[in-house]
Amino acid sequence: MNVELTDLTRRFGRTTAVSGVTLEAGPGVFGLLGPNGAGKTSLLRMMATVIPPTSGRLRLLGRDPGSYAPRREVRRKLGYLPQSLGYYPGFTVADFVEYFALLKDMPPGRVPAAVAAAIEQVGLGDRARAKLRTLSGGMLRRAGIAQAIVNDPDLLLLDEPTAGLDPEQRVAFRGLLREFGQRATVIVSTHLVEDVGAACTEVALMEQGRIVFHGTPAELTARGEGSGAAGDAPLERGYSAVLAAARSVPAARA
Amino acid sequence: MSGTDAGPPDVDLGRVWLAVAAQVWRREPGWAERAARRLLRSPGLARALVTTPSLLLGWLIATAVVLAAGAVATLGTGTPYVPLLAPAVAAAGIAYAYGPGIDPAWELSRSMAVSDRMVLLVRALAVFGLNAALGLAASAASGVTAAVTFGWLVPMTAACALALAAATLAKSANVGVAVGLAGWVITVLSGNAAAGRLTTAVTDSALVLPYLAFAVCCGAIAAYATRITRGTS
Repeated sequence: MNVELTDLTRRFGRTTAVSGVTLEAGPGVFGLLGPNGAGKTSLLRMMATVIPPTSGRLRLLGRDPGSYAPRREVRRKLGYLPQSLGYYPGFTVADFVEYFALLKDMPPGRVPAAVAAAIEQVGLGDRARAKLRTLSGGMLRRAGIAQAIVNDPDLLLLDEPTAGLDPEQRVAFRGLLREFGQRATVIVSTHLVEDVGAACTEVALMEQGRIVFHGTPAELTARGEGSGAAGDAPLERGYSAVLAAARSVPAARA
Repeated sequence: MSGTDAGPPDVDLGRVWLAVAAQVWRREPGWAERAARRLLRSPGLARALVTTPSLLLGWLIATAVVLAAGAVATLGTGTPYVPLLAPAVAAAGIAYAYGPGIDPAWELSRSMAVSDRMVLLVRALAVFGLNAALGLAASAASGVTAAVTFGWLVPMTAACALALAAATLAKSANVGVAVGLAGWVITVLSGNAAAGRLTTAVTDSALVLPYLAFAVCCGAIAAYATRITRGTS
């Protein structure tokens, strides 16, 4: 298993963002669904080794990222797209992707080819020498995805990757996700249910820091059948039904 | 992008294009980055160093202008302003070397194999070194005595360490600058009140040890604030 989380908890002061999450994920595309504030981003940041868990056990790519050497090894094989991607306005797309390839400790000789491949994969080849400040929001998002995949990661963590992408780009991006999912563990945090239905092999639904559903998209869809839950698509109705059930048993959550 | 339809059957045009693009798009490192690569033995760290916000051209020009103005004021009035300005300018530079809100891709950088703690250390040392060099040049140009020319280096170390500790603890460059500047102003005014001279803070040799002790304490705080938390049980 590339990701093993056992009773993982993260608190910020008195707020518990992630509460006792236990999860395993191997190769494939894993969707993390949930409403705003459910704890998806905090969970992803822990898996990206940006923040440590308050308690619980975290193993990534078979290593404990709590100490320096394994953490560095994990980070070499990690791709991460944060929710809000900061960028250097004066960098070109190629500079930006190359910068993070170097920070990922890639062998310098391999960097130019990897940068070119990543930029082409996200369809930014014609804007590779454009300054980031001149790009649209969707293009910036794709530049962010390019830096995440430049090292051909074994673990790819994407926080709201399709935000700002137009429908055509989203379709192409889902294809890229499926391609990566053949050999790597891809975890996608999103609130767009259709992304999960189209690209994910497994899905977890978070609510108030907890996993309230874990299964396949088909199983999530089945939860909505005959429930009368709101939603335009079967998967959306499954999502709504699971959330409604989780919210109706606050005592059980406590 | 296989592109094999239009080309000879044994040539993968997609791969050819990627090889061409790799060469066309690659960024040639400047002399500073090449030197940093040799010194640090890490291309990633070298690139992180040359993107330090407080080492960018605009910031360096501003630093040089402030110190040059101090040198001119010293020549005009006889009061050694450069030794009083240099620690404050360096402290601001250190606080603005790395951190959330200052480094645009800070969140992303924290997930990288090149540790952000190492990036902070290398950037802070580079900013300190460059400010020390600029300050020494300005101080020498202002024609003050040798004691005053070099006397501010230790207080500058303390002011920089204070700014770094505050910035890392508060995770805010602005807090670092505010605390560093406030600390230095209080020190200068206290020296003035005690001995009647504005330059007491940089000329009194009895203060060297306290400055160094203070700098070590602040360095320890910064190291603690940026420690690698085990975080798993």
